[in-house]
Amino acid sequence: MSRSQTPTIGHDSNTVRLSVRFARLIRHREVGLLLLITLTSVVVGIKDIHFLSFEVWRDILVRCAPTAIVACGVMLVVVTGEIDISVGSLMALLAAVMGRMISENELDLSCWIGIPATLCLGTLIGVCTGSLVSLGRVPSIIVTLGLLTALRGLTTLMMGGENIDRLPEGLTQLAKQGLFGVPISILTAVGVIGLTSVLIHHIPLGRRLYALGSSAESARMAGLSEVRLKLFVFGYTGFLTALATIVDVPRLPKIESGIGSEFELLVVTCVVVGGVAISGGQGRLIGVLLAVVLMTMIRPVLTFIDIGEAGEKWTRAIQGMFILLAVVTDSFFSRRQRGSEKEHAA
Amino acid sequence: MTGTSGEKSTDSSGSRKLRIALLPKIKGISYFSSCFKGAEEAAKELGVELIYDGPTDGDPRKQAEMIEQWTIDGVDVICVAPNAPDVVAGAMKEARAAGISVITWDADGTTESRSFFVNQASARAIGEGLVNTMLQDLGPETEGDVVIISADATSANQNAWIEAMKPALGKSKLNLATIKYPGENASNALADGQDVISKYPNLKGIFGISSVSFPGAAEAVEQSGKGGQVLVTGLSTPNDMKKFVHNGTVRSVVLWNTVDLGYLTIHVAKALAAGELKDGAASIKAGRLGELSIVGDNVMLGDIMVFTKANIDQYDF
Amino acid sequence: MNSMHDAGSSRSFRWWHETVIGALLVIVLLVAGWLVPGFLKPQSQLLLSRQLWEFAILALGMTLIIITGGIDLSVGSTMGLSAVAFGGVHAASGSLVAASLACLATGLCCGAVNGALVSQLRLHPLIVTLATFAAYRGIAEGWSQGHSYSRFGDDFSNLARGSWLGVPLPGTFFFVMAIGFAVFLAKTPNGRFLHAIGHNERAAKFSGIAVDRIRFWLYTMSGLLAGLASLIYVARFDTAKADFGKGFELDVITAVVLGGTSIYGGRGNILGTILGLLLIHETRMFVSRYWGSDELRSIVIGCLLIVAVLAYQLVSRRRRS
Repeated sequence: MSRSQTPTIGHDSNTVRLSVRFARLIRHREVGLLLLITLTSVVVGIKDIHFLSFEVWRDILVRCAPTAIVACGVMLVVVTGEIDISVGSLMALLAAVMGRMISENELDLSCWIGIPATLCLGTLIGVCTGSLVSLGRVPSIIVTLGLLTALRGLTTLMMGGENIDRLPEGLTQLAKQGLFGVPISILTAVGVIGLTSVLIHHIPLGRRLYALGSSAESARMAGLSEVRLKLFVFGYTGFLTALATIVDVPRLPKIESGIGSEFELLVVTCVVVGGVAISGGQGRLIGVLLAVVLMTMIRPVLTFIDIGEAGEKWTRAIQGMFILLAVVTDSFFSRRQRGSEKEHAA
Repeated sequence: MTGTSGEKSTDSSGSRKLRIALLPKIKGISYFSSCFKGAEEAAKELGVELIYDGPTDGDPRKQAEMIEQWTIDGVDVICVAPNAPDVVAGAMKEARAAGISVITWDADGTTESRSFFVNQASARAIGEGLVNTMLQDLGPETEGDVVIISADATSANQNAWIEAMKPALGKSKLNLATIKYPGENASNALADGQDVISKYPNLKGIFGISSVSFPGAAEAVEQSGKGGQVLVTGLSTPNDMKKFVHNGTVRSVVLWNTVDLGYLTIHVAKALAAGELKDGAASIKAGRLGELSIVGDNVMLGDIMVFTKANIDQYDF
Repeated sequence: MNSMHDAGSSRSFRWWHETVIGALLVIVLLVAGWLVPGFLKPQSQLLLSRQLWEFAILALGMTLIIITGGIDLSVGSTMGLSAVAFGGVHAASGSLVAASLACLATGLCCGAVNGALVSQLRLHPLIVTLATFAAYRGIAEGWSQGHSYSRFGDDFSNLARGSWLGVPLPGTFFFVMAIGFAVFLAKTPNGRFLHAIGHNERAAKFSGIAVDRIRFWLYTMSGLLAGLASLIYVARFDTAKADFGKGFELDVITAVVLGGTSIYGGRGNILGTILGLLLIHETRMFVSRYWGSDELRSIVIGCLLIVAVLAYQLVSRRRRS
């Protein structure tokens, strides 16, 4: 494959060095994503300078937070060669449970009970998913597809057609105004990103996850416990989903059964656009985070370039094209890279 | 007795309870839950059996499927709030052909698919009501931008209301800057609200015309600290909006009495099945609502209501 | 119909999954027949089967794709876009034939784009169709501006609502196609290649199978089937709108996987898919006629999927050991 697109190698050492350097740079999807984000911001900023204001970007970052938090977990799931498409429904269920417990109109328990309970429930459901996948040998896409449907139904049943509001004042204040002016969801996201990055780079667990994803066979032979690793990634994702629910949902006007709809698609899209190989074993956190920013900024971008009334109905099409563009260009560059590597090897 | 289809037992003695199926557009949202409350009240009063089911995702295809099931189960009356009139029309016509009485409520279907429509407000009344409320709250001479935050680009009801709002806005000095479609997604609705507030410095008002986008827009205004400068109005049940009305972000909420709507629907269904309501009738007695007029084949619930700080606490739905 | 061409498998009885699903189906039918009076009446079964056929047609294509280890998440969105193409062309030309052709052609093109991206750029099908899932739906919304087209005439809608010997016409049509697909899968070289690709793509490639070409046509065909399903759907409801087929992709995948097609590829057949479709359909009907609760319906379907696959895994593992 890709015979003809190989950069001109071997004519002029200078060109070679430059082109190799460029190829190396562009190979990192992160650079491409960063370019796309910067370029879009600049273009929209020229059209309407308000877009570059502090308030707008604070709003965008606040919206990124829950996606980023959950993507940290789903990314690790994908790295091990599995997938999780149940996070949206899980978020709805957790929001409903949390609301039931701590809302002043409902049980009115203390946050000190309600929040740990929500975290436990999220982790527990994640661990259950993980055990079905690892012990029960049910493919993860099937387990989480089943949960996607079942948990949403359970949430609707639990809510009984009513909404929950009046969460404790303290929690909503933290979510909206935050500590020292930084919304709690951003602080949490920073914490989770730090934790996940330590996990990936600085402790053996991270390397094991990648090893498991690139070849389950050799990982097994090296004595890694597939079951334990998979329980961990799904449990971690469940925990992070609960965390995202706790810091993000109080920002919304009310808890209704539709919370988190299509969230799973957004998260998986971000993970994929961020360069994590769907077959496992590859992917960098920074790419995923940039993809989260890119995907989240599409909506405000479309508002700020003011595409008109008819244009608004094309919103979804433009979002889709963006994803397609990101995926296709990346494949184009990585093919070039692979091609030139092959030639080097030869 | 009407309804003699499918497996329905023929031993329909006088003591058999009438079975009335009530089909909402979306099951599980507070709007239709409050309608259901009224319907339950009427069912208890009239001694009929009430079946309440609908798609939780608002898929009209599932509505058609449920109508077909009820046709086979041989219920006596089916009351449909069609999410897409054309999609459910076929199933409704078949139900009628099988001898089941079919009425529409909340939103009308095609005329040949039902015998009566329990009309709480026409699309035009809703659209104009929303614009007039906004103008009243802002002052009729106000100039500036307004934005509509709808549901999906394909939402039939919202689109009909928008079409009705446009001419009414055209007559005012307000300029419709844009229409956003966040879907039925609370985060997107909040996000769109925040974005339009930053984008349009001369923004005077936001219309939130779905049960998700109205609170979302109100929340966005509140969080941006523009409460009072940017007014939000829209359609919602009073319970959902009480906190925004009390803190001044929202001055008026437009809706009708949804509990009464459910209540009236069951009364109409019962009267139709019992043969008390015939084509061309001019009025109907509906329990605690008294005598209500019928215009053509539309049973009129009454005018749309505007909930404000003064009266919103009197309603609990 | 027999698909015993899984290379390298030595188990003696290969129909465990079909047996499990068949048994579940019989149980559901018995319980439903007992609890819901008249549930088993052929007449009402046939009438209620109407909701099934569009899914069933999509499931045929999806089965083949999943056998090769791929997936197509864009079928629902393709249906929406095809429906809008139908409506748009009908509005412009007034011709039902032109509109139907446009509908099918749109489906075909959508599928071909997926196929080209998957086979030429070698992108993972999940990634490609996740992107086109959003793109096709969006184009449909933008093109139609969210409006619906309707009133295509009674003759047209009777095509989809009518029946032949009591079987709804789309159902007859589906069974003819299902037989064709089953024969293709089990009796032709290309059909057998699908299993080979799903089993081990590299091995398949080295043994001279034109993997890329097969992939391309597979996704193109899936798109065409989506166009066809959309046509039936449009006719049945006498309406064309951009939100048609929303959520279909997940339901179709559920049915195919429930029917024993391995999500990793290499295993699956049409009989299993038909059983899976029927099991889901009957369960849905039962839950909604007995309890009358849409929430419960999704809980039951979700759990059924997990439990059925888990049960199969346990049974087949015990057999192996």
